[in-house]
Amino acid sequence: MRQEASSLEACRPGLPASGEQGFVNIQIEKLGKRYGATHALRDFSLDIGDGEFLVLLGPSGCGKTTCLRTVAGLEQPDEGRILLGGRDVTWLEPRERDMAMVFQSYALYPHLNVYENIAFPLRVRGQADNEIERQVEQAAERLGLAGLLKRRPRELSGGQRQRVALARAIVRRPNAFLFDEPLSNLDAKLRVEMRAELKRLQHELGVTSIYVTHDQAEAMTLGRRLAVLKDGVLVQAGEPEEVYLRPACLFVAGFLGSPSMNFLPGRVDGAARRFVTNGISIGLSPEQLERLPDGAPVTLGVRPENVELSRQPRQGWLAGRVYVSESMGNENLVVVEAGGHRISCRTIAEMRLDFEAPVWLLFRSGRLHFFDTPSGKSLWP
Amino acid sequence: MKALLKIGGACLLAAAAGTTLFPFYWLVTLSLKREVDQFAIPPIWIRFHPTLAHYYDIFWVRPFGLYFLNSVIAASVSTLLALAIGTLAAYSLARFPRPEVSFWILSTRMFPPIVSIIPLFLMLRWANLLDSVLALAVLYTAFNLPFVVWMMRGFFEELPRDLEEAAMMDGETRLGALWRVVLPLVRAGLAATAAFCLVIAWNEFLFALVVAQTDAAMTLPVGIASRVTQYEIKWGAMSAAGVVAMLPVFLFGAAMQKYLVRGLSLGAVKG
Amino acid sequence: MTKASEAKGNRRRPRKYSGRLWLAPALIVLGALSIYPLLFAVQVSFRTPSGYGFGNFSRLINDRLFLISLFQTLVYTAGALAVEFGIGLGLALLANRQFRGRGLLRSVLLIPMLLPPVVVAVIWRLILNPEFGVLNGTLRLLGIDTAPLTWAAAENTALPSVMLVDIWEWTPFLFLLLLAGLQSLPVEPFEAATVDGASKWQILRHLTLPMLKPVIAIAVLLRGMDLLRVFDQVFILTQGGPGFATETVTLYIYRTAFRFYNFGYAVVMSFVLLIATTVIARSFLRLLGRQPASA
Repeated sequence: MRQEASSLEACRPGLPASGEQGFVNIQIEKLGKRYGATHALRDFSLDIGDGEFLVLLGPSGCGKTTCLRTVAGLEQPDEGRILLGGRDVTWLEPRERDMAMVFQSYALYPHLNVYENIAFPLRVRGQADNEIERQVEQAAERLGLAGLLKRRPRELSGGQRQRVALARAIVRRPNAFLFDEPLSNLDAKLRVEMRAELKRLQHELGVTSIYVTHDQAEAMTLGRRLAVLKDGVLVQAGEPEEVYLRPACLFVAGFLGSPSMNFLPGRVDGAARRFVTNGISIGLSPEQLERLPDGAPVTLGVRPENVELSRQPRQGWLAGRVYVSESMGNENLVVVEAGGHRISCRTIAEMRLDFEAPVWLLFRSGRLHFFDTPSGKSLWP
Repeated sequence: MKALLKIGGACLLAAAAGTTLFPFYWLVTLSLKREVDQFAIPPIWIRFHPTLAHYYDIFWVRPFGLYFLNSVIAASVSTLLALAIGTLAAYSLARFPRPEVSFWILSTRMFPPIVSIIPLFLMLRWANLLDSVLALAVLYTAFNLPFVVWMMRGFFEELPRDLEEAAMMDGETRLGALWRVVLPLVRAGLAATAAFCLVIAWNEFLFALVVAQTDAAMTLPVGIASRVTQYEIKWGAMSAAGVVAMLPVFLFGAAMQKYLVRGLSLGAVKG
Repeated sequence: MTKASEAKGNRRRPRKYSGRLWLAPALIVLGALSIYPLLFAVQVSFRTPSGYGFGNFSRLINDRLFLISLFQTLVYTAGALAVEFGIGLGLALLANRQFRGRGLLRSVLLIPMLLPPVVVAVIWRLILNPEFGVLNGTLRLLGIDTAPLTWAAAENTALPSVMLVDIWEWTPFLFLLLLAGLQSLPVEPFEAATVDGASKWQILRHLTLPMLKPVIAIAVLLRGMDLLRVFDQVFILTQGGPGFATETVTLYIYRTAFRFYNFGYAVVMSFVLLIATTVIARSFLRLLGRQPASA
């Protein structure tokens, strides 16, 4: 991608004005930011392609919001730089970067009605009234706000306010969309609806987008690419399936997926060619043995959906007792106590299990993960 | 028994209100009384022939029209300047806190005015700026500035930063965001602060007394004082002048009283 | 727009200071008109009628009149403050219930504070006039002999008369502040105390007043500071007289500077006043157990 950027830069030295379709990729290079003694961001580098929808995912305090705000221009980094379409914008004011931001609190102007809120960015740029009218109505139409233009923010519901914030962002064609956890203030049902709409909207508009969230389900469904952060450091970046199926470390593996992955710490017994932990022993293939050092402390990871459960005793399966069973309607989530571990798994809805019911578990062999226990690094796959 | 106490309490409050209002009543009536009535013994309360002679006197014969104008200029110019400069500083301190600077600004309010007025007088005299209403307005600006900063900073701190940031993302400069988004939202605070500044400047005496050397720069309080401290006092003229000096504040206070009371209460509760 | 792409090095400067520079005008104004004059005054303090020297300081030590004026100012402050606080608190306690017309009462009582002190002084000068004033006129109607009651013109009633004026004008200030404080107090502790059987006096002494301490502190401090600097009313009512009976510090300083043109000595005295007020303020706050000037 970098090759393309530089060749295009040669053709077009300056940044395209708002509204023009230019090649707007974002390059974040070695970004660092400190607040006093704490590192909010450390040596953070990431490339975002033109038109890409990238999600920054991580727990609170991991630096994702700091990163977003630095790209926006609301904060200045201590180290590193940001390139927009090949141009260094690290020190430019927000308005010079021509990006649009959707805030978690929506940040609607309370003293203006919906029309004026959406029109604000256009008025600031001195556009003509009839032009403004056309664009505002177009944006409002797209987000289903047509009848609400005269209302004030305080008269709107949460979902409506969120749409106004979105409309304000799309009413011009900015270089990028920046989303700061925009759905977190909505109730669960609305959140799921808006998620789908957002994805569709971004696809239709094709604007480069950075989306910050701590909700892994949101991240998985929305992003074309995911970047997971922890304590100011980029831990893994890649497409959702990639990150889900091949997590780079224990943290990522545990963060993605709900209910989260089961972890069983243990060690490798090279001689017996098995992974051993309390009450559980699992055979390892030659390829696995190559990567897993003998005797080393290793943690086994297996996702609940890859744990099979049977009510009948089975040869070679792990025996256990039901600790708790939760019915979700379409399936059941069962926690089983086996070999001193608590293991979550999923079963079909029809299987009704009582407390302490005896069950047998099998871990699907192709779906096992192994992590180096002290560092958390993924050893397999 | 309880009822008696309640009535007693109400009476006391009514008495307080009455004690407050009576002097005005007296001043206003005095200004409308003919001279014979003014000094009547026993004093005449209600039945008298009203006359506007005294008002005519102070505006046409004496220069109170000029004094009034000077007061208006000094108060309004200083309020506008103090608001402009102070609000900018207050916003800066609210968003980029500097505790030492805040403390220092607010401590200037603690100086007794007499301490500053002597060197200021000498400075003005040296610069040939004595006897100038505008010089007085500038002094009042400095006088009111700490207060404006203190009040407006509180209002800005209550406003979440999101709105300015949204405006900046939408394309505004920080100054533009302040003007278009933040200030409309602190309108009430601005009004209250402006009200206080106007009242303080209008009523001020010591600075005005020192700066004014001739009629040209006298404000109303100084004009009144210069006549009252003589032996022969024209009560009619003085009471009329008093009413004129009082009226704008009275009306203004009535219009703004909601804000003023709130401002006071805020001060009390916030400490 | 090309600015940023050119300058490679010093790009930090413009961004970091954008919003912070807005402090500058305020600092300049205050620096020039509040801070610099003080520094200049230090130089002035060495001016004596016979050239530059320490004459003013030695004169200060021997100046009985200055000490008297200081003392009288303190008496004035303490007396007026006590009365204003007492009446203000009483009225605030009375007004602390919900009743119709309370808003109106507040507005009415607000008025005296808004008036020019000069005008207030003029009004009261009229009222207190021994021959033609309303006060004596009414007293005469009631049969009281007013010949000896010359209020502002008699040595022993002059200071109280001036205090009366201040009390009239500023009791509402304390009333409003204390009322606001009372209304911000939570209701539950008082209900609990009533249930526990406390009497009204006990509640007042042990609950209301202690809980009101911060508000009282602010109110007393603000008013006290203003009282120590009193000038306007005294100037209009008595000009410091009769004799020296109502001479306050500020008045004495004013006269020294602007009647006798002895700026150097006046400045020295004003510094003493500044120090005195600061010391009093700090001791007061420390007495109440708080840190000085967290403003």
